[in-house]
Amino acid sequence: MFKPASFAWLLAHEINLLWRGSILLRTSKYVLVPVIAVSVIFQVVALLIVKYLQSPTLSQAILILIANINLIFLSGLMLSRAMTSTIDVLYSRGDADVLLASPIKPISILAVRMIGVAASVAAPWLLLAAALANALAIFGNPQALATYIIIPMLAALVTAIAFLSVVSLVARSGPAKARLFSHSIALFIGVFIFALGQAPRYIAPASLRTLWQAFMPTATNINAAIWLPARAFLGEFIPAALFCAVSILIFWLVLITRARQFADGTISAAAYGSGPAGRRGSGAFRQHPFATTILKNLRLLLRFPGLVTQTTYRSLTLVPVTMILTGHFTIGTGPSVVIPLLVFLAGQLALFFISIIVGSDQSPDLLASAPVAPQTGHRAAYAAASYASLVVMALPVLGVLFRAGQMLPALLAAMAGSILSNLLLGRRFPIPLLRPAFGKTQTGTVFGLILGVSASSFWAFIAWLAVTPTPF
Amino acid sequence: MINALTVRGLCKSFAKPIINQLDLTIAPGEIYALLGPNGAGKTTTLRMIAGLLKPDAGSIEVFGTDVLTAPLTAKAMMAWLPDEPLLYDKLSALEYLEFVAGLWQVEPAIAATRAETLLETFGLWQHRHQRCEGFSRGMKQKTVLAGALIHTPKLFILDEPLTGLDAAAAKLVKSILTQCAAEGAAIIITTHILEVAERLATRIGILSGGNLLAQGSFAELQTAAGQHADTSLEDVFLHLTTRADV
Repeated sequence: MFKPASFAWLLAHEINLLWRGSILLRTSKYVLVPVIAVSVIFQVVALLIVKYLQSPTLSQAILILIANINLIFLSGLMLSRAMTSTIDVLYSRGDADVLLASPIKPISILAVRMIGVAASVAAPWLLLAAALANALAIFGNPQALATYIIIPMLAALVTAIAFLSVVSLVARSGPAKARLFSHSIALFIGVFIFALGQAPRYIAPASLRTLWQAFMPTATNINAAIWLPARAFLGEFIPAALFCAVSILIFWLVLITRARQFADGTISAAAYGSGPAGRRGSGAFRQHPFATTILKNLRLLLRFPGLVTQTTYRSLTLVPVTMILTGHFTIGTGPSVVIPLLVFLAGQLALFFISIIVGSDQSPDLLASAPVAPQTGHRAAYAAASYASLVVMALPVLGVLFRAGQMLPALLAAMAGSILSNLLLGRRFPIPLLRPAFGKTQTGTVFGLILGVSASSFWAFIAWLAVTPTPF
Repeated sequence: MINALTVRGLCKSFAKPIINQLDLTIAPGEIYALLGPNGAGKTTTLRMIAGLLKPDAGSIEVFGTDVLTAPLTAKAMMAWLPDEPLLYDKLSALEYLEFVAGLWQVEPAIAATRAETLLETFGLWQHRHQRCEGFSRGMKQKTVLAGALIHTPKLFILDEPLTGLDAAAAKLVKSILTQCAAEGAAIIITTHILEVAERLATRIGILSGGNLLAQGSFAELQTAAGQHADTSLEDVFLHLTTRADV
């Protein structure tokens, strides 16, 4: 269809590979129908919201404040995704060397890669925002359709920033540190969003007002450049045009300034060196296959890149739990609120850990060729993932013991159910994770994620029923 | 004397027949090279012997133990090395040997001593704490060979064991295999390097289209192919496989 080796040909190749490797396609028989159904539901809900909950006309300053808050959340989440996608796409595909060895211009290769990442970053948000934009346009606000332009442009901007950071960082420190950096950003954004959501509880009303005012223009500075992104987001033509121009300019600048660095081989799977020496605990030979397999699983788990950041990210639930247990925060019926949260978290951690173990098992044939029972590998995986989950959950469980000891049996029973369900599901249907090493195949699916969340929610609900005196 | 490996009437089909009525025996101390063009069924045969793939028909015995009815007993005597090294990138070489020794239940003190000796032998001792992800193909191959040797198997099943090895390492592996055979172990090996088979193997089998075309010593194969005594194994191999294709 396109001339071989042309930019369009390369872009088509990239999009084809991204689509074939996408989580959506790999689980299409399970996921496509729910995705379409959810999109339709979103659209209906958006129409209902816009029709029935139309607020009185808001001032321009308030609209800009709302747009700014949305932009902060959106940019942060997009940047987090773009950083991990940049590293993932550039290194795990492993075809950078082949492309760079071809007579195709490096700038074309980089451009195609950046467009691919920007598209993958924009797609989910566009799906969400488009529903609201369509509804607003139907009910007399056609400028809301600017979302279709602004979100892809914002994705292009954050992708350019992500590529700039990753390529520069890789050149200086190597891909492993670059990946650590992206995980740290993801964690920081998670904590930031959580903290911002809780801000009204911690910040005095006067200070909170000052915080909001920082994101809001006054009558005199409403035309200042700082408010242009928000005004573009709201669909004003000139700010939107300027925002697009700036995004494209930055995207282009990154392309022309980083193409050489990219081509020089800084971004190459081959540049990924081995991890630090695993001296600790080495030399501890064990005679029992089960024990040695658990140890192997725990080692693989501990060496999974992003284990700490992703575990911390998932464990943010523990912040309100701790506050409730220590009496710093009162909500609903007190400690009984934390029980379902802990049950849910325990299940999600078990699912996360078993998915890592399943994804890291590169040589199942080794175990299959050994003189051990076929179930040994499964049981060792369950044991290692349970152990890791219980280590994280130990302190909160002790907190419940001291603050609401009578709820402990219900907590432990539901936690056991939640962990066990997620282990059984997670071994068969692991969740999508960052690849344990560059060049490795993704094994997880969205289906696994849906099943795991459902199982955890079920057990959390059971726990809530058990500890709430009058649930209905 | 009991055979190290006895294969009788082995059959396996996927979409089409891969192995047809394969009969094979290997005596202790013998090195048997299984040769064949790509897709001949060599790896499928080895995977069935290793207990990783269930045959459609036939029997496999390792030192008198049926692989299908007593797989754990049979596996305890075997070491399986596929063409792609069975390694864990995030484990160090020493940790890998710990894992393999644990799976084969080698007594810890003995395993530690053997691990040290093997790592020294393969020139990996100074790299023992490095993760395998940083190893070259040759170092990975040497690590899995050390893993195979740590539990002193009586039957080695080796699929292209010399892939990725430099000349010195390949010579070392050949000498280790010869030594293992001299000590009574049986070895079944596949290779596309016919000189290796010619020099290393005591018997050679040529597989094509799932059928064993010929087997025996090199001299017997020359006779079977109607070739002169100075004909190379490459010529014999091409003659037999081309004739089978026709």
